[in-house]
This record gives sequence, structure tokens and C-alpha cells, in this order.
Amino acid sequence: MEKKLFVSSSPHITDRESVAKIMFTVIAALVPAGIGGVYFFGPKALWVILVSVLASVATEAVIQILMKKPVTVGDGSAILTGILLAFTISVQVPLWIPAVGAFFAIAVGKQVFGGLGFNPMNPALLGRAFLLASWPDYMIRFDLARPRGGHLAGIPINIDGITEATPLNVFRQLRDIYSNTTEFTGVQPDVHQQIDTLTSSYTSIKNLFIGDVGGCIGETSALLLLAGAAFLMYKRYIGWKIPFGYIGTVALLSWIFGGKTDLFSGNILFFVFSGGLILGAFYMATDMVTSPVTFRGRILFGIGCGVITVLIRQVGGYPEGVCYSILLMNLTVPLLDRWNRPKVFGKVKK
Amino acid sequence: MKDVLKIGGILLAITVIAAAALSGVYSVTKPLIEDAKQKEQDAALTVALAGADTSGIYKVENEEYVYYEGFTERERQNLIGYAFITSKYGYSSDIVTMVGVDTAGTIIGIKVLSQQETPGLGTRIAEKAYGETKTWVQKQFEGKTAMGCAVDKDGGSIISITGATISSRAVTNSVVDGYKKFNEFITKK
Amino acid sequence: MSAFKELTKGIYDQNPVFKQALGLCPTLAVSNSVENGLGMGLAATFVLVCSNVIISLIRKLVPAKIRIPVYIVVIASFVTIVDYSMNGLFHELHKSLGLFIPLIVVNCIILGRAEAFAGKNNIFLSLLDGIGMGLGFTLALVLLGTIREILGNGSFLGIPVIGASFKPVLIMILPPGAFLSIGFVMGFFNWIENRKSN
Repeated sequence: MEKKLFVSSSPHITDRESVAKIMFTVIAALVPAGIGGVYFFGPKALWVILVSVLASVATEAVIQILMKKPVTVGDGSAILTGILLAFTISVQVPLWIPAVGAFFAIAVGKQVFGGLGFNPMNPALLGRAFLLASWPDYMIRFDLARPRGGHLAGIPINIDGITEATPLNVFRQLRDIYSNTTEFTGVQPDVHQQIDTLTSSYTSIKNLFIGDVGGCIGETSALLLLAGAAFLMYKRYIGWKIPFGYIGTVALLSWIFGGKTDLFSGNILFFVFSGGLILGAFYMATDMVTSPVTFRGRILFGIGCGVITVLIRQVGGYPEGVCYSILLMNLTVPLLDRWNRPKVFGKVKK
Repeated sequence: MKDVLKIGGILLAITVIAAAALSGVYSVTKPLIEDAKQKEQDAALTVALAGADTSGIYKVENEEYVYYEGFTERERQNLIGYAFITSKYGYSSDIVTMVGVDTAGTIIGIKVLSQQETPGLGTRIAEKAYGETKTWVQKQFEGKTAMGCAVDKDGGSIISITGATISSRAVTNSVVDGYKKFNEFITKK
Repeated sequence: MSAFKELTKGIYDQNPVFKQALGLCPTLAVSNSVENGLGMGLAATFVLVCSNVIISLIRKLVPAKIRIPVYIVVIASFVTIVDYSMNGLFHELHKSLGLFIPLIVVNCIILGRAEAFAGKNNIFLSLLDGIGMGLGFTLALVLLGTIREILGNGSFLGIPVIGASFKPVLIMILPPGAFLSIGFVMGFFNWIENRKSN
């Protein structure tokens, strides 16, 4: 007998929102940052984004056809994954890198677990983590990704041995020199000054905010990303708890530990605007499938992301830690939700 | 009571048999293991003290320090340099290297004795790049003054491996530290 | 018929790694190349066959109360023998397998077969069981090692098999690659079983 009546578990919310509408709104919010990326890094950036999106959509469609499931590429979630993945890689990679990354993101990050809504981790970030672990020599290379008219670090750096790269990378290198090589006494005062210029000068922070620095395609321009995020917050597609918990924690801890050697001397603006923090905090950590649903859960999720990011940035092996911090916190989501389950209304307190 | 004795007796018998078997195996394999280790060390010494006669390398040993002297002739003639072993913790393991220096402190040869760094990244310190005849450490260190070695990221001339700065830096700093220690010892003597 | 079955069951039907999910720790750790997988597999097979035979031999002498310590003593002795011999004869391989050789002592396949099979069956069947299970374990390690070495290093047994233009998927020889490949191979075998039963 064929089933006629379907009853899903509560809550039974009726709303005009659909997956497709949310996805395409988020995509629209990312368009300014995408245009910014193409403007800063040249037409190759557009190719990276296109390859990534096409590979995502194709992978999703092929897998769904092979598994004899309804093909749902029209809902835009694969497109969004493709865009986010492209935003987190350098413009300098060969074009097969975004293609392989997108394949892994969709196939292993999403379809293996049963498709949209069942993935425990953000697929785009999983794709990036896969690429970073597999081809680190491509993924951490930014020396040619010089934005037009700009410097990779936002300011010119002239010290022997510094390969100009992303601002966070230069910061780590400079600080390593500062703390490691007392023997090169001639270099040290120079390094001291360079760190100050990098983290605190007006030009450096301004370039970081606009996005006129080296980095991954879609992560450099805080201005354009924030504009899109403001739109999404106005539409109530993303909440304030995760991004603010996240960025607030990074700001606080960077102020404490981000100085040259002394505590409480880091420049907050430098650490908030550099790297992929804005992109990660507003567009990736807030992913509906992979973030907690409870109030306390979201705050804790944000704080956890912030703590891990600062840990990786300040003491870890990589200069940037947004990707791994969100992936790690994604895995704690079931735990956070269970732990912070709201009290059933009317239940007597024991 | 009887039960305890019986169980204890059986356990005793089995452990005694096992111990006897193991001591037999140990006495057979011990010389083999030492031989293999010796061969490994000899191979490292011929790299570190390239140019020395294979039978002209002597171990100098006392309570606190061990190093090797290399001569071009068997009978301790024509000292070409010294070799010492140095190590430092890299990314995920102790990186142990054998370094050979001439009397002026210039590095003759170097070989990584053991390391367990990340495959494909940190392990490249001991590997030959595609089409190369020398390992990364040989290529970077040979002919340089041991005292002044530093990786490029620290303002020096050793070109660190992309993605494996920590391993590269550990090797470099351990060469400098090892040379300092060696120099202290040899000047004291 | 029955004896033949005891020999072959470990290879596919009851493969220790893919079907029983036993001994995953060494499987994940040393399957990063074919050579390591083969070395580890053969070392474990040797220990498994010897311990199965000895344990089956003494099964009637050992009181049930102390069977576990006795099994462990037998297994640990053979592991130590393997450890010494490998160190002497195959020094390089011993260096790369490192601390996983002594860890064969706690490999659940070996104690598992001792407890589940050798302690209850005669010497001949225990020998066949040990050979079969050991072969199954070795094959699993070599299969995973092949996948990981080819993808992660572009080589098979250290010989380059893919052209120099291939950029190896480094993650495959790192620990996550072990989880990825074991997951996919296990999933593949489950898929075959599902299709068979449908």
C-alpha cells in the first residue's frame, strides 16, 4: 500500500523561505567580495571561481544521478560551496586545484554523509583542508598574488629573507626573526620597526580593510564582506551570536597575545581584518547545517572558533587558523546542542 | 591452596620457557643488530667526512663527548676534519644528523641519521629532489661555515623547504649548536 | 572441506580488517606504503601463526583462570623474536616500522584469534586459521598501502609508476589518508555484500 500521509517531527513551521532562496541570497551577498577579488587579483581569479563552481555542481549532479537520487543542483548549495572554496584559495594555484578541491568538498564533505543537511562539517572548508594537506606548496604560495598597485603585506617590507606574502604570514616571519635571532643584532631594530608599521600604521590597516593586500581570492576585503554580511543580517539569514562571539574572542586574545613579546600590546584591528576571519566568521561559521541551534550553543561555538584560531595563529604551524578552527568546532556541534538543550516549558525544576 | 600452587607452577613453567627462548634469540641477533648499526654509522661517516680514507676514520671518545677524526691516510696522517652527531626536535621528532667539518669550521658533509617528520614535507630534508644527486641537507650545508648557518626566514642563507620551515630550522640550528658544543670541547682539550 | 574453509575465511569472508574491524591501529599507522604494509603484515602473520599453534598445543594444560596472561606471554615472546630478527636482518624496514612492531603484542587480531579460535581447536585447524587470518591482514595492509602509496607518493614499492607531472595527493600518506582509504574500501565491500544479498 502506498503511503498517503507524511508526518515529520516537530517543529511544524510554515514559511515561504526555501533552501534555494536562502542559498541564492547568500550567493548574492558574496558577489561584491567576488568582484573585489577579481579586481584585486586580476581575471585569473574569475577562472578559479568558475572552475570551482562548475566542478561543485558537476560533482553533485553526477553523484546524485549515480546514486539514483533526485538531482538538487538547482537549490544553489553546490554553487555556494564552490564560491566559498574558491574564496579560500590563492589566485596563484593551477586551475586543477579548485576542481579537485570542489570534487572532494562535495563528494566526501557532503554526499558521503547523505547530502545537504547531513554533512557534519562545512564542505567548502573541508575541501580547503584537503587541498592544504595534499598540495601545501601550491596552497601556501602567495608571492605572485600581488593585488594591483598594492603590496602583499599592505606595506612594503624590505628585510632579507622575507618572502612577501599575506599580512599574517609576514607578521609571523617578522616575529620569528625578532625572537629567534639575537645574533643578527644589526637586523633587530629594523624588524622591531617593521612589525609596528605592519600592525599599527594607518596605511597598513586601511589596505587590510579595503582588501589591497595579498591573500586568498575572497578573503582580503573586509569592507566588501561586511557589506554582504550586513545585508544577510538584515534579512535575518545569519545571526549575530556566532560572528560576534568569534570575532570578539579573536580580538580579545589577539590584544593579549598578539604583541611582539609583551602581553596586552597586540593591535586588534590588524588581527581582525587580516586573514580569513571576516569571511569565516560571517559566511562559514554561520552555516545553518553545521552550527548549533541554541543560544548558548552558538555563543560557545563562536568563542571556541576564536580560541582555536588565535592558538593556531600565534603558536601553531600555520600563519592562519580560521579554516581548521571552524572545522574542529563543527564537530562539537552535536555536543554543544545536547548540552545546551533548552528546558521544556512547564517542566518543574527539581 | 593446591590450586594456587598448580596455577603458579604453570605460569612459572611458561615464563621460564619463554625467557629461555628469548635469550637464545637475543644472543643470535645481537651481533647482527650491532653490525647493521655499525654499517649505518660507517655510511654516514663516509658522507660526513668525504675525502677521508674509509679506514682512516677514528672514534674519539671520553665520558662526556664523542666525535670522529678523519684522515686521508690510514696512519693518522693528513687530518681533513672532524665529525660529530647533533640533534634537535623538529616538527614531530628528534632530527639526528651527522655533521663533518674541516679544521676551519667549514662543513664537509652532512647526513640525517634519523627523523620521523611529516612525510612529503619535513622528510624532504633527507631526500633528493627530482633530478638531484644530493639530499637537501647536503645541498644547503656543504661548503658553508657551520657557525653562521641560519635559514632564510631568520635572515640566513639556508633555503628552507616550502611548507617545512620548522624542520629546516631545526636542522640548521642543531648544526650550529652541535658545532658550538664541539668547538668548546676541542678548544678545552 | 572444513579445513579449507578455516584457511580461506580470513582472506575475504572474515577479513580481520575490513569485516571484523580488528587491528585497526597498526592498519592505520603503517599502511602508508606497500613496503611498510607488507613488512607489518608478514611480521604479524608470523606471530599469529606461531602463537596460534603454541596456544592450541597447550590449551588443555592451561587453567581457564590464567589463560589470558599465558596467551600474552606467548604472544609477547614471539613479538620480541620478530623485533630482534627484523632489527638484525632488515634494519631499514625495522626503522620505518618503528614502535609498531612491539605493539603487535596488543594487536587485537592475535589475542582475538587465540581466545576465539586457538584456545578451542586443534593444532592443525589453528595453524590454518592463523595463516588465513594473517594473510587476510597482510592483504588488507598491502591493498591500503597500494592505494595510499600510489595516490600519495606516485609510486609502488618505491618505484615511480605515474609520470613526473603527477602531483601526489600528499594527504593520502598522512594519517587522514588512512582513515579516508579504509573508509572507502570498507564501504566498497559493504556495497558488494548489499548487492549480493539483494
